[in-house]
Amino acid sequence: MSPPQVPRSSPYGPYAAPSPRRGHRSRPLLSRRSALKSAALTVGLPSALTGCGSARAGSAPMSFWNPWGPAKGSDMAPQSDWFTSLARAWNARTGKDVALTYIAGETYTNGSKLQTAFLADSGPDLFVLSPGDFLRYANGGVLEDLTPYLSDEARRDFVDGALDTRTVNGRVYGLPMSLQPHAFYYSKRAWERAGLAEGDVPRTWDQFLSVAEKLTTRRRSGLLLETTPGYLQNFCWYPFMWAAGADAVDRTGRHSGFDADGVVNALRFWQETVRRGVAPRRALGSGSTDIVANLLAGYCAIQHCGPYGVGQLRKAAPHFDFGVFRQPVPHGGRYTTVVGGWAFVVNRHGRDPEAAARFAVWALGSMEEECVRRVARWCAEASTDLPPRKSVQQHVAAQGYFDDEAMRYFQREVLPGGRGEPRYPPNVYQPVSDAIQACQLSGADPAERARRASGLIEDALATYRGARIF
Amino acid sequence: MATVHTSHRTSPGTGADPGTGTGTGTANGPAARGSRRPLTRSAREAVAGWLFVAPSTLGMLVFLVVPMAASVVVSFFRVSGFGDQRFVGLENYRRLLHDPVFGSSLATTGLFTVLFVPLLFTASLGLALLLQKRRPLIGLWRSLVFAPHVVSLVVVGLVWQFLLTDHVGVVNRVLDGLGLPAPSWLGNPAFALPAVVLISVWFFMGYYMVIFLNGLNDIPASYYEAARIDGAGRWRSFRHVTWPLLRPTSLFVLVMTTLTAIGAAGVFDLIYVMTKGGPDYGTQVVMFYIYQRAFQLNDFGYSSAMAAVVSALLLLVMFVMLRLTRGGKVDA
Amino acid sequence: MPDTAASAPRSAPAARTAAAVRGAPAGASRRPTRVRTGPIAVWCSIAVLALLTVAPLAYMVATGFKRARDVYSTSLIPGSPTLGNFRYIFNEIPMVRYALNSLLVAAAVTVLSLLFHSMAGYALARLRFRGRDALFSGIYATLLVSLPLIMVPLFLVAKTLGLLDSYLGMILPAVFNAFGIFFLRQFYLGFPDEVEEAARIDGCGYWRIYWRIVLPMSKPLLSALAVFFFLGTWNSFLWPLTIVQNDALIPVQVGISSFQGQYSAAWNYSMAASTVAALPTLLLFFAFQRQFTETLKTTGGK
Repeated sequence: MSPPQVPRSSPYGPYAAPSPRRGHRSRPLLSRRSALKSAALTVGLPSALTGCGSARAGSAPMSFWNPWGPAKGSDMAPQSDWFTSLARAWNARTGKDVALTYIAGETYTNGSKLQTAFLADSGPDLFVLSPGDFLRYANGGVLEDLTPYLSDEARRDFVDGALDTRTVNGRVYGLPMSLQPHAFYYSKRAWERAGLAEGDVPRTWDQFLSVAEKLTTRRRSGLLLETTPGYLQNFCWYPFMWAAGADAVDRTGRHSGFDADGVVNALRFWQETVRRGVAPRRALGSGSTDIVANLLAGYCAIQHCGPYGVGQLRKAAPHFDFGVFRQPVPHGGRYTTVVGGWAFVVNRHGRDPEAAARFAVWALGSMEEECVRRVARWCAEASTDLPPRKSVQQHVAAQGYFDDEAMRYFQREVLPGGRGEPRYPPNVYQPVSDAIQACQLSGADPAERARRASGLIEDALATYRGARIF
Repeated sequence: MATVHTSHRTSPGTGADPGTGTGTGTANGPAARGSRRPLTRSAREAVAGWLFVAPSTLGMLVFLVVPMAASVVVSFFRVSGFGDQRFVGLENYRRLLHDPVFGSSLATTGLFTVLFVPLLFTASLGLALLLQKRRPLIGLWRSLVFAPHVVSLVVVGLVWQFLLTDHVGVVNRVLDGLGLPAPSWLGNPAFALPAVVLISVWFFMGYYMVIFLNGLNDIPASYYEAARIDGAGRWRSFRHVTWPLLRPTSLFVLVMTTLTAIGAAGVFDLIYVMTKGGPDYGTQVVMFYIYQRAFQLNDFGYSSAMAAVVSALLLLVMFVMLRLTRGGKVDA
Repeated sequence: MPDTAASAPRSAPAARTAAAVRGAPAGASRRPTRVRTGPIAVWCSIAVLALLTVAPLAYMVATGFKRARDVYSTSLIPGSPTLGNFRYIFNEIPMVRYALNSLLVAAAVTVLSLLFHSMAGYALARLRFRGRDALFSGIYATLLVSLPLIMVPLFLVAKTLGLLDSYLGMILPAVFNAFGIFFLRQFYLGFPDEVEEAARIDGCGYWRIYWRIVLPMSKPLLSALAVFFFLGTWNSFLWPLTIVQNDALIPVQVGISSFQGQYSAAWNYSMAASTVAALPTLLLFFAFQRQFTETLKTTGGK
């Protein structure tokens, strides 16, 4: 139930700088003013009380901010341990140490720490991003190009599409840790109690709604979808739009595709779930992908989640009987799902971006046996996700990872046909989010909202100048 | 507060300093003798005065004024947060005028204020009146009423989120058991803002009750005696004795609650923890929008422009309030 | 309702009049039971009100003692109470360290605030100097400035002063605000002149007067304010979160918030952590409640 498992991109969203000036970096505006004040004030300030551990010299360790470790709590132990042993292994072999800083998932994605740090030019040397976030940092010119450190072989080793959302103009800026495609989990017990059989697993939206209705009781909702506004909600909704044959931004990346029937249908579906009472207005726990707090607790009978849900369920309740089915499609639609996943990125304005880049590549993007094993450990043990690299796929398959029915289903049925989480600038993300919220929670007219949002997206794209959106 | 006075102070109404009456006489003595004396009494007092306020003034300058000024300066730039900024003049302010979300967040803030202030004022005054008299265990009851304020807002948000959970939370279970409708408090745009208002009132009422209690205790019993002798009942006694004499305190409470409502000092934490501005902008007060723009959409310049506008608005509201209530001067 | 019989000793005529005020029949004062139902009813409604107000917090504490499966039950008394949640919390997160950090910061802020605010309040009320009123208006205006508005510039200021990741960084910004200055200035405005005059005639300097005479006389207000400051600092979350990275310095609200982020589904842990974080301030409040509710006067000079 750790939030970082959630393939949600931070609600920060990609940033649309009108013209990212690469190589031009001015000091933060405010330091000039403060410098005058500080000259007068720093005299006499007892420095003993200031700064335990804040680096001053170049030999300081590289800071790596992440939402997994080192964390307290036995629930976080597998992921936390992976990170601590990663840091330890690196520190043992080189002089340039890595120092991990743990920031709780919720704070990392929704909070202001990262922002404030970057604004004050104190950003971490290394951190993690999801595709939804990526444009903002890339356009801001803070990501280090990892391509020179990545061998061609390693680059090819990544599964098709895994690197795309982290690539700008052919250069790679982030290395994915895993693939997290979304699917639906259901409680077999609730299923049987409602009189449903194996074959009743829904494949179309109509079946989906009727199954959800059958599963809804006084104390339990049939289906749980995300309701809190933010990047996660958009993420969960996109596959519905895609399956219905529409896209927020058209293929050229210059025009809105939001004013389409597919969009209206997707919005209407989400609206229906709440209107009919089969979906609740709020999720429990840390959100709608917190499978332990919702599905396991019996709050809902069907819930969307990534592959990491399997591990979480198994750990929390080994005897809980659950099933997985992939994203249903509307009439005449084609199957697809959304694929999330976090990536290591390097801060170009850090103390030693070169060393940091080497670290990132060593950790996730090297062909060395140890690296493959390491990524495999993350995907198979620390957090049950799908491997982003072919060599890792082979490795875990050899270890029997896909013998497990659920993981096999994810790998063979859910992942193929999936689409990476889109990276949109804020002015594109926001109208979509508003439309979803209004239709889902306020019962607004989907057609009208789609049209309105489309207009805003069109305006946004007209003035957007930055890395390609897709 | 500059203009809050109570009726029975020893010094004259304008807060003039004491001691000038007698002091001037002696002070001017040595000074009048000639410029040989380096510091007159009033000069020494001035130096002392400045020295006394120096730490606070300096601290506030550094930690409040400079950041606020910097924020205003930033509002004329487009700041991405990654080290590049562009001067854009009034563009951010122009964008504000066309931003429907800003308008709606102001409306939400207005709605919140209109609900919050009267409710809190009445609740805390009522509680103060009710709990003023010394009864058995009165200390305990007062403490219990104040207890919500003792707990951090983050905890308050978590606890209420827990209590208001759809279907299975305590509040809805109780409502269900009583046969009353049990809506999704935080998931329904129609109910979310009222829920936040009620929780905020719950949080603050003990605090303002304490302020009213002190205001009530300041009213001398002799006034009530006089009223009683005149045959005044409870209600008339309140209207003609309590209410007028409570005016300075009432004004203080009114101003502080309005500041809290608009400036969202505490409410921000609640919204952040419970609803994040949702559902469907139901709880998107302007302070939260400012935060969102800055930290979630990386638009610091725009966010600062909003902050400047909101601060100006607050100043205006405070000014109007003080004017309307004549600064709380008591006519007694 | 006006307190017609607050502290004055009751005399028979007063009692009769009080009964009249309450609208009871004239002869009621002779039948003691009748006279007392009024107060009893009021007392009961007070009790109910107070208990209802504190019920959510009581529920929080109760949930901290519940097992995971009982978490959503409506009863205030846990069915099968357990200390396991608290044990887990204390094992998993260094609550003691967090609490000590909070204590250090809160105590420092309280002491510094009391000192600086009372100095300023005293000067603004009783010393005469040019620009005093303008200064006071300026201080008044700073009430408008709240943290979300200035978070980023403040962070930059803190960074420039080298306060990042330090105790001072948590302490200093919290000390300087207008809150205490108001109450103290108001209080000092009402001070009797004679005290100071006498001291001045004796030849005391301004600081002596302040330190030796004025400050001790302000004890009631200062202790009430101390509780406010301590409370505010202990409960602050956003600023320490922003400025502190180092795990050794994290105060209790930040500490449990990341814990709550992980365990927000396991409400029993989350509520137990919240209880532990709230406990010191709750206890502090109960200990000082008398001072707090009765001496926060807007005038002084007794």
